[in-house]
Amino acid sequence: MSKKLALENVSKHFGSLIAVNNVSIDIEPGEFLCFLGPSGCGKTTILRMITGFEQVTSGAIVYDGKVINDVIPQKRDFGIVFQSYALFPNMTVTQNVAFGLKMRKMPKKLIDERVTEILALIGLTGWESHYPSQLSGGQQQRVALGRAIAIKPNVLLLDEPLSALDAKIRVRLRTVIKRLQEELGITMIYVTHDQEEALALSDRVVIMRDGEFMQIGSPWEIYKQPKSSFIAEFVGTSNFIPGTKKNEKIQFGQLEFAVAGIENVEEEKIYLAIRPENIEMVDVTISAEDCIPSNVVEVTAEVINFLGAIVRITFILEEEEMLVDLPEKEFEKINLKRKDLLKLYFPPEAFHVYTELFRKLI
Amino acid sequence: MNTALKEYTASIDYGISSARTEIDRFIIPAVTIFIALLLFFFMLFPMWSILQLSFFKGGQFGISNFTLANFHKYFTTSYTLKALWHSLYISTVTTIIVIVIVFFFAYAMARTTISGKTFFRNIIMMPLIAPSIVQALALIYLFGRNGLITAHLLKIDWNIYGSVGIIFSEVLYCLPHAFVILYTTLSAVDIRLDEAAESLGATPFKVFTRITLPSAKYGIFSAAALTFNLTITDFGNPVVIGGNYNVLATEIYAQVTNLYRFDLGATISIILLVPSLMAFMLNYYVSRKTFSMISGAAKPVIPPSRPLQKVSYTLYCYLVAFSIIVIFATVIIGSFVKIWPYDWSLTLDHYNFPSIGGYSAIYTSVWVSLIVGICGSFITLVAGYVMETRKPFFKQFIYLLSVMPAAIPGLVMGLGYILAFNKPYYFFYGTPWIIVINIIICNFTLGILSSISNLRNIDPSVEEAAISLGGDTIRTFFRIIFPLSRVAFFQNFVYFFMRSMTTISAVIFLVSATVHLAAIEIIMLDNDGWTASANAMCTCIIVIVLIMLGVLQIVAKKTGGRPEGLAAEI
Ligand SMILES: Nc1ncnc2c1ncn2[C@@H]1O[C@H](COP(=O)(O)OP(=O)(O)O)[C@@H](O)[C@H]1O
Ligand SMILES: [Mg+2]
Repeated sequence: MSKKLALENVSKHFGSLIAVNNVSIDIEPGEFLCFLGPSGCGKTTILRMITGFEQVTSGAIVYDGKVINDVIPQKRDFGIVFQSYALFPNMTVTQNVAFGLKMRKMPKKLIDERVTEILALIGLTGWESHYPSQLSGGQQQRVALGRAIAIKPNVLLLDEPLSALDAKIRVRLRTVIKRLQEELGITMIYVTHDQEEALALSDRVVIMRDGEFMQIGSPWEIYKQPKSSFIAEFVGTSNFIPGTKKNEKIQFGQLEFAVAGIENVEEEKIYLAIRPENIEMVDVTISAEDCIPSNVVEVTAEVINFLGAIVRITFILEEEEMLVDLPEKEFEKINLKRKDLLKLYFPPEAFHVYTELFRKLI
Repeated sequence: MNTALKEYTASIDYGISSARTEIDRFIIPAVTIFIALLLFFFMLFPMWSILQLSFFKGGQFGISNFTLANFHKYFTTSYTLKALWHSLYISTVTTIIVIVIVFFFAYAMARTTISGKTFFRNIIMMPLIAPSIVQALALIYLFGRNGLITAHLLKIDWNIYGSVGIIFSEVLYCLPHAFVILYTTLSAVDIRLDEAAESLGATPFKVFTRITLPSAKYGIFSAAALTFNLTITDFGNPVVIGGNYNVLATEIYAQVTNLYRFDLGATISIILLVPSLMAFMLNYYVSRKTFSMISGAAKPVIPPSRPLQKVSYTLYCYLVAFSIIVIFATVIIGSFVKIWPYDWSLTLDHYNFPSIGGYSAIYTSVWVSLIVGICGSFITLVAGYVMETRKPFFKQFIYLLSVMPAAIPGLVMGLGYILAFNKPYYFFYGTPWIIVINIIICNFTLGILSSISNLRNIDPSVEEAAISLGGDTIRTFFRIIFPLSRVAFFQNFVYFFMRSMTTISAVIFLVSATVHLAAIEIIMLDNDGWTASANAMCTCIIVIVLIMLGVLQIVAKKTGGRPEGLAAEI
């Protein structure tokens, strides 16, 4: 049912500002694709070019083998869900959902049937004659979803649809969206700046920064093999270790780390990234004889944050502040307190090696 | 759940009709061009005609015909030259008085905790519901040659005709306009500044001169510019109370109607246009600054005023309100008594209008105003929508065209209409339709600005949602935008209706032997010595406008819109 959508070398300039810079991607029919990136990186602009509300400056948007750059939004048959819900405040739930069908001159009887089905799908049966202002935020966004899928779009585009909602409702609606996508087989293109949402929902994630695609891959790939230090920092959390390559080891202050896969690295200045959950605690999560001695360090616990399933401990290593995560169950066993000494192990294969550093400014 | 899903995937698809989307491509360009042509033909063309007649020999455009002879004649004739000085003098004095009076009135409304604010606010808006002639009529009844107060109570010989009379009536006419601006400014400026200064030990006088006044300076400039503009372009009050004291507006009228000197009328129009244009541009420039200062910050609660302050502000507001009420009461009572101020027995005689217009003028005024109200608010809404949300190709240009009418005095525009359209092939000339068009164009600016500011409150995604669901421009407009702009539409309707019922200067040149309007009849009646009937005509207009306001209040409430006071109308 769905057809293939592709962006080919698409750019968008607003005057001198380059909002989207020469990006390309093939989106498979029925795929759940997320655009993930910090605010202002051009996600919305890409979505608006796909929907036709914004003209591309150069490049092509190809749908079902045809360039659709000049097709007006009404003719593209793409559904859109907006962050602000954008429901018609002067219409009831039923009228909102039926709007697209009325525009298509569908017979009244069929409209009624379709609306009933949609309301069942989104779980709002019984709310037919309510106005948007009488609904909660979560319900409003369900109506917006229903309204968008009522016209049976081949592609559904969602621009941060959940970011205006409470955390609890956000997680619940996330499941609703995912289920709809799987059951209806619609291609969904989802924009968000929330990495958790992107990782939880997508088949593939596109990481964006400054109008460019930094990495395209499955959530697993993005998390486990971030191609750049920007992604390592933006998706999940990473500790960064600025070091110098010497004798196939990485020197960091007094320390010399063994790091896997640096044989072919040319540069001398190196940045290592390691996720807090990949740092082991000697004698707690790993036994001492399994460790390479050069990668074991002794530090002081400066801050201990209880985050539920994990406990996050802040420590200082060679004047750099770093984090290590410990499963709550393990933490319980060792009875660690502030200013206690910790023995940590940095497994050589847990490092990601980068030649430049990106640090968020906040 | 699952059956719903099955039916969903099984049901048939309907597409968007191609014919509709094809037509849709032309809607926005067509509407844009229509609005541009409307403003070109009914604003620029008449103005061009005035320029032509004043700067070119015989009104024939061409380098060799260019002449300043008209201006030379104007500036060397001492009688006509006086009109310029008179106008500038009247407008300057009026502006100063209005700003002082209104500043403290607005201060009382925005910054003190006196009671009865709703009453005061409604009273100060009252001048809007009557033609700008009601003040002059009332002042003559009170302070004229046979005035109740001058001749009767005080038994003095002094009367108010001339500059004093004009100034008094213009002050009373401009109060609401200045009030709206100053009230908005004073409500927006952060009151905590004053408190902070006071807590640091500044005397109330210092706080006032160092903090309150400077923080409201843009509002003051803006209100002053508007007052100056309204005064210098007003025609109704000076023509009735001015006597031999001529001003630019009355001079234009005299040149055209009494002397048939269209060229001099056009020339004086240009001279009038200069100061009024400058005042308009000053207002436009500073009101942008004012609005940039008025951010959406929450209004802090007004701290309770000191008892003495409360008493004096209350007294002051009653005094202002009383003056306005006296004006209206005089005209209304004057229309019901036999011979003011000698014979106070009640009579309806004055409502048997002796002029040819009479009740048919009222009838014409009402239906012209209804059409102006509906068409004006609809066109400005459509124009605002096209410009604001669809961003057509020459948006900036159309925007410029739409703010221009506010800068052009009604009298000048009216004269331009005669010059431009008094030709046999303009079939609408001499019919009420030219009046309808003229009033719409003259008030286009405020209509479109309020439409735009309302449209800006609609989330742009709502419209995009409609489009993405297959909505074409026309259906999106009528099903989404129009319902969401309902309140603004009603407000604009009332505004256009009120302006149409009360305007004098814009249409005085356009009424004819067959087309009469109520507001113009007032001048005719007064001119022919039927002063009491002039008052009666004025009363009729006031009553009709009040009825319309009442009806719309009810409609607005019924349709769920916020009930708006008079204050929301301008
Ligand atoms: N209509 C526009 N005119 C000018 N600049 C724009 C416009 N829309 C977006 N931009 C700019 O383009 C960049 C990308 O914006 P956007 O796509 O909205 O980012 P995101 O959705 O990722 O937060 C931003 O710098 C934004 O300011
Ligand atoms: Mg965005």
